[in-house]
Amino acid sequence: MRRTLTLLRLAARGVLREARRSLLTAAAMALGLALLMFTRSLADGGHEDWINAGVRMGAGHVLFQAPGYRESRSLDDRLSGIQARAAIAALDALEGPLAPMATTIRLSTNGLASSASSALPVVIHGVNPETEASFSHAAERITEGRYLEQDDRLAAYVGQGVAERLGLSLGSRFVLTAQSTDGEIQGQLARVVGVFRTGLPEVDEGVVHIPIATARSWLGAADGATTVGAILPTSGVVPEVVRAVRSDVEGEDIRVLGWREAYPQLDAALRIDDYGDYVFLGILFAIVALAVLNTVLMAVLHRKREFGVLQALGLTPAETGLLVFTEGLMLTALAGVVGMIAGAALTWGFFRDGLDFSALMSEEMTFGGIVIDPVIVPKFRMVQVLQSFFSIAVVGITASIYPAYYATKIDVGEALKFE
Amino acid sequence: MSTETLTDIAVRTEDVWKIYAQEPEDVEAVRGVSLEVRKGEFMTMAGPSGSGKTTLLNMLGGLTRPTRGRIWVRDLEITTLSNKELARLRLESIGFVFQAFNLLPVLSALENAEFSLLLRGVPAEERHRRVRALFDEIGLGGLEDRKPGKLSGGQQQRVAVARAVVGQPTLVLADEPTANLDSHTSDALLDIMERLNQEHGTTFLFSTHDPRVMERARRRVSLVDGRIESDERG
Repeated sequence: MRRTLTLLRLAARGVLREARRSLLTAAAMALGLALLMFTRSLADGGHEDWINAGVRMGAGHVLFQAPGYRESRSLDDRLSGIQARAAIAALDALEGPLAPMATTIRLSTNGLASSASSALPVVIHGVNPETEASFSHAAERITEGRYLEQDDRLAAYVGQGVAERLGLSLGSRFVLTAQSTDGEIQGQLARVVGVFRTGLPEVDEGVVHIPIATARSWLGAADGATTVGAILPTSGVVPEVVRAVRSDVEGEDIRVLGWREAYPQLDAALRIDDYGDYVFLGILFAIVALAVLNTVLMAVLHRKREFGVLQALGLTPAETGLLVFTEGLMLTALAGVVGMIAGAALTWGFFRDGLDFSALMSEEMTFGGIVIDPVIVPKFRMVQVLQSFFSIAVVGITASIYPAYYATKIDVGEALKFE
Repeated sequence: MSTETLTDIAVRTEDVWKIYAQEPEDVEAVRGVSLEVRKGEFMTMAGPSGSGKTTLLNMLGGLTRPTRGRIWVRDLEITTLSNKELARLRLESIGFVFQAFNLLPVLSALENAEFSLLLRGVPAEERHRRVRALFDEIGLGGLEDRKPGKLSGGQQQRVAVARAVVGQPTLVLADEPTANLDSHTSDALLDIMERLNQEHGTTFLFSTHDPRVMERARRRVSLVDGRIESDERG
């Protein structure tokens, strides 16, 4: 125990003695950690924005659908009223951090929108105006008019592209045509009450919202729905929520999807972005590891005589290696603390309100089926901080192993030669 | 050799060789040295540069392994010991004094001197008592807290001597201890070591070519080209 304390004391003094070298090494590691924390926070924040935009553009973090609907997109594969209510009850049962922020119930179908001047294939979403207003990304992106209201019957909320291509303006009438549940082609008159623009051409030029009551009556779907969805507080709780609601609706013949299954394109986009980040961070860490290795190894070579003296006085080769390794650990710990503070300061002190990349984006940028918000707000998570610290610890420890091994192999007689 | 005789021996070698592999041909630094040093001796190994003094000293101290031959410290054969066992032997039985002082720069004079006691697990109070007594004896009283960089060459070498003898080792090996000191300081240091030898019975073995050291020695071994050329007493 006393020998261990002696080694610790020697290691601490060794680090302090070469203050400038220690500080430079620790600074390199701390900078690496701070950058890691910042880039991870930024990536996590950006990804959460992407997911949020994606799920609001779609039908939520968690979706309930009839088995087969995803593949067929047919009204034949819809949830019955009982199933839809069971799904909503399962969502209502969620509490605390799992409780949904918004839910939606939709009856969606593919159809044709026709005006006096033109016709356009569209996706028609029959929605509950009350819940959809706080759910849908499209509902927030009004450019003209208003969103649907509870009392509306023939109202339609259309994408800007749809309005332009059909020559529609507020108050214009047009006809929606789709196959009803009995297989007949049915038409429905609608009047434009609002126009939206999301920036995604496939949405702006191909989506129409109408009240679900109108859609049910027009398509003969009684109280059925194609999708029940929920927006959750964060994407991180999705797996837990999926598990919980799956057990709640077990036996109801309902398929429950998390956002990764529901939006594979978005999932792939995030994975590609993550992969790029990992490559960048890998290079960064390799540079930091080489800097640490170089410094610690130089320190060993520089202090060869000192280590020779220690062994002449009775320190074993293993203890000499341990001494060098401990110095590396101390540098790592110092860098870890400084890096975490610097990373937190950088993330929260300067970029709490987000980093605005709009100057780098001349137009709206889309990726993975979503519009990318040019302002990215870093997301700070304790688990991410610990992961970053762990990463830098691995770098520090790995970089200290070889110098420590080298110290155990010093030829004491050679080291003590007078020069 | 009888058991009684063995207990009087500090260090013994038998046909010790040290050969360094080198191109174009190997270097025989020590060639078949057989030597016996009794406890309490105050002896020198002299010889020109390259005669093998330091190499032999390092082998006696377990810092370098001989190419062949055997070495005993007291009755323990050290040539068969592991690195860990050699470290333990050095800690408990051998003290070193180097030409370049070789104090640990991060430690104070007192901490340097007490280092081997610390590694042995001697309690702090006892360590400090022994080092302070020794410091007073060799004229270092009051300098306990100074770092080596704040001490003169003579003071540093006295700290090194204190470090070597404080654990009461069987043998103190001193490699050119006066080479970096002026004559006055050298004499003072030799006085101290001679006194420690006489009063405490500490065995001193010097590698040197300093005539002042050789004059004080009661036994003088002369090495030439790695072999013992002469071994004189008195």
